[in-house]
Amino acid sequence: MAQTVLTFITKIDPGKVTQLTTLLEQIESNQSSNPFVPFASLKGLHFASFVIFDDGDCGPDLVFENNFDGALDAYLEDLLRHAGHGLHGIYSCCLGYTATGSYDRQKMTAYLRAHVVWPNAYHIGNVGRGAERIHQETTLRDRIEVFLDDLVTDGKIDEPLGSLRQRIQQFVSDDPSLTWAINVRPRQTIIEQFTPWAKIALVAMCALLFLPVLIPLAIVSVIVLRRHEKLDPDQFRPVSSAHVQHLAKREDRIVQNHYAGIFRVKPGWFRRVTLRSVLWVANLIARTSTRGKLMGIPSIHFAHWSLIDEGRRLLFLSNYGGSWGNYLDDFIDKASTGLTGIWSNTTDFPPTRFLVLDGSRNGPRFKSFARDKQTATRVWYSAYPDLTVQNIDNNSAIREDLFTSLDETAVRSWLRRF
Amino acid sequence: MAQLEHHDIQGFLLSSYGHLPCATYLLLRISDVASSRQWLARLTDEVRTAVAVSKAEREQEVFSVNLALTHTGLSKLGLDPAALATFSLAFQEGMAAEHRARILGDTKDSAPQEWHWGNADNPVDILLLVFARDEDALEAQLRQRRNDIVAARGIQEVSALSAGRQEDTKEHFGFADGIGQPVIEGSGRLSRQLDRTGHATVLKAGEFILGYVNDYGVVADTPSATGMPDFGRNATYLVFRQMAQHVAEFWRFLDDATRRSDGTSDQAARERLAAKFVGRWTSGAPLVKYPSGDPHAGTSTLNSENDFEFYENDGHGFACPIGAHIRRANPRDALGPDSQTALQSAKRHSILRRGRSYGHRLANPFVEDGTERGLHFICLNSDIERQFELIQQTWINNTTFSGLQRETDPLIGNHDKTDRLFTVQDDPLRTRVSNLRSFVTVKGGAYFFLHGLRALRYLGSLKDSIFHYQTEWRDE
Ligand code: HEM
Repeated sequence: MAQTVLTFITKIDPGKVTQLTTLLEQIESNQSSNPFVPFASLKGLHFASFVIFDDGDCGPDLVFENNFDGALDAYLEDLLRHAGHGLHGIYSCCLGYTATGSYDRQKMTAYLRAHVVWPNAYHIGNVGRGAERIHQETTLRDRIEVFLDDLVTDGKIDEPLGSLRQRIQQFVSDDPSLTWAINVRPRQTIIEQFTPWAKIALVAMCALLFLPVLIPLAIVSVIVLRRHEKLDPDQFRPVSSAHVQHLAKREDRIVQNHYAGIFRVKPGWFRRVTLRSVLWVANLIARTSTRGKLMGIPSIHFAHWSLIDEGRRLLFLSNYGGSWGNYLDDFIDKASTGLTGIWSNTTDFPPTRFLVLDGSRNGPRFKSFARDKQTATRVWYSAYPDLTVQNIDNNSAIREDLFTSLDETAVRSWLRRF
Repeated sequence: MAQLEHHDIQGFLLSSYGHLPCATYLLLRISDVASSRQWLARLTDEVRTAVAVSKAEREQEVFSVNLALTHTGLSKLGLDPAALATFSLAFQEGMAAEHRARILGDTKDSAPQEWHWGNADNPVDILLLVFARDEDALEAQLRQRRNDIVAARGIQEVSALSAGRQEDTKEHFGFADGIGQPVIEGSGRLSRQLDRTGHATVLKAGEFILGYVNDYGVVADTPSATGMPDFGRNATYLVFRQMAQHVAEFWRFLDDATRRSDGTSDQAARERLAAKFVGRWTSGAPLVKYPSGDPHAGTSTLNSENDFEFYENDGHGFACPIGAHIRRANPRDALGPDSQTALQSAKRHSILRRGRSYGHRLANPFVEDGTERGLHFICLNSDIERQFELIQQTWINNTTFSGLQRETDPLIGNHDKTDRLFTVQDDPLRTRVSNLRSFVTVKGGAYFFLHGLRALRYLGSLKDSIFHYQTEWRDE
């Protein structure tokens, strides 16, 4: 099942920021049973967040992030069924929301649709696994683990591999509450798997075709880029301690953390076009990443990049596993090129050469930049707060290979998954 | 390669003073600023620097004194607020800050409210590290230090943490300690480390000494003060945690977990599981190289071999479990995406360990004797968040470390939640140990700054801000 990644972005009525903040605080302090947005009732929801960005002249924005299963229509329906009235309260604090008085489902639907922002690029860690499937496979693994504990205690592990595996299969088939485990749907359809590669091939072909035009264009671009890079102001303003404290206090409550930030794109059309193109390419490549890694980073569940305000600002949201420090270190140690290619087009980023060199490799400065641009997430929900991308992948693999026919080596490596 | 300024660097940064086996750590609090400054100015002349001495001189050496300050200590001595804000945030907030306690796993019995020192009830400003050749020399040094402190009248002794004499290099659970240690480029210790362990990870000086190029190829921001922009040069951050070890509880747990089906103790299985917790046999021999048994079993020989990798030599953790203490504390090449990147990345989270055990050895490791014993864990690093705290949070106490679930470091992890596990990977099937308990309790701790000598002199010569204020006022 495919996942959808999007945000609803609305302008907050400047006079109602406090009211909205209070409301969001109420939701955050009681995620499971608040009367406004009962996240846990939304079946296909993976991660969601509300962030208030107050970015000086751009006015306060409310970003409502949603990462869910299936398409928008069905999700909207479910969302409004459970949270319509709550969202009415929230969006009554926003501009352009005309449903004064009581909640009106039609108007809310129209309002949300009008404010959907589809990301320019996004990444999904556990491609094709719906929220329900993730929960089920966690249960399956836990149950088998306990069964294996008994096998070990009973000294059954000296049996031949095949019969060990049979015992596990038997255990699962015998349990009526686990029957769903037997039939597995593929993570992606053939078409879903094939399309991203086809697109890349197509792009490559077009590029070849237009090579005579592209080469001079590229040369000119590089010259212009270098001029920009040399002229970009290099002023380093370390992030304030108070801001970091404010952010850090909210972090590390569960296995995952949330990053929300808005970045100003450097002035001029050149940077805007460059960033849009880089994101376009990044998104093309990200669609082929089905093994849980984004440019070598293994910990990201969902991440989005969206250009907003006619490309003048870049919104970045990420739901990642582990600590902030570790996440940023992964960015620096494993994905410098890609992320420098994106963020070098935004202001205050450490100086770069040729778009992707230097930049984030200056670790301390890059971290200061990333903290400085981060905004505290007001409400953040995770449907599986103690799982990493790796855990989920492993649980899926256990189930996918449970009843397939495997040779001895494969059985051995399957057993290592426990 | 960086030229280290040995005359300005404190000796403790480059040496663990193996030739001075006796130690006491004095924790002090400032009550009168002016006299504390005078005391500090006098003491600075006696602080042992890192200037190399000949072998003969070292053999003659009787004692060594080093000194580090907390953020509150610096503030009391009158470092101006702008300067105080140039230190790392972790240091400014201190180890006991609420969200730091959360990320470090200091909860329940280990929570800062329960600490003997380093919390709001009993804050510490100064750490005086006193090392000596023998008990008598230590006694004499302490007497003199205390006389000076009493004479200064502005300083109180919060606590004297005695590390006593190290009998050998084993910690209280019974394992050889102090093997894995990075080497600072330019410190001249490379060949010694190679001889000792057959392996050395050389790191840029800036990883451990402020003011030098670090592993990112830059000189990280260094604290600065009015009139002394390079105030932090030649200094480092010193992390101190007093960690009580529950030795009998540890061995009884292992004993219970490895009993035969008839209920009798299985010594071999017990020692094996203990080794799986650590990643080394009690002799120090690494499991990756000696998976089937301790090559020095039954002898007192120690083994400091360190020339192995995890992914390359033991990818599945069949020898050294994925969650073992040394594999968490330094995953080497194990965390991917490929060995080379993993090694490079793990390197950036290295610490120089300088801890020493305290308390007497437990006579019978299965029977508690009612006295406290443990490790005065000390480590040095230039970036507390990226080095010490990352190891503690992202590796040691991470319940999902490297694909695991519901487990933390079996030896020193926080096991307050009752469902904690430890998985021992094996072929064809793992075994799981359940209901782990916390075998270690934090009793106190703080982040200190181990200054360069010039910075200590600067602090000793500071004048009262009131004084500044008056002169300015008079000038008007
Ligand atoms: C009571 C507490 C502790 C005990 C008993 C303990 C024990 C040990 C032992 C037996 C070793 C193996 C010998 C060696 O390589 O030196 C070791 C290694 C190590 N420990 Fe600990 N430890 C404790 C706390 C800590 C803490 C708090 C940290 C860091 C946050 C830490 C980090 C390390 C590191 C980095 C290594 C070396 C790993 C390597 O490079 O292979 N330890 N420890």
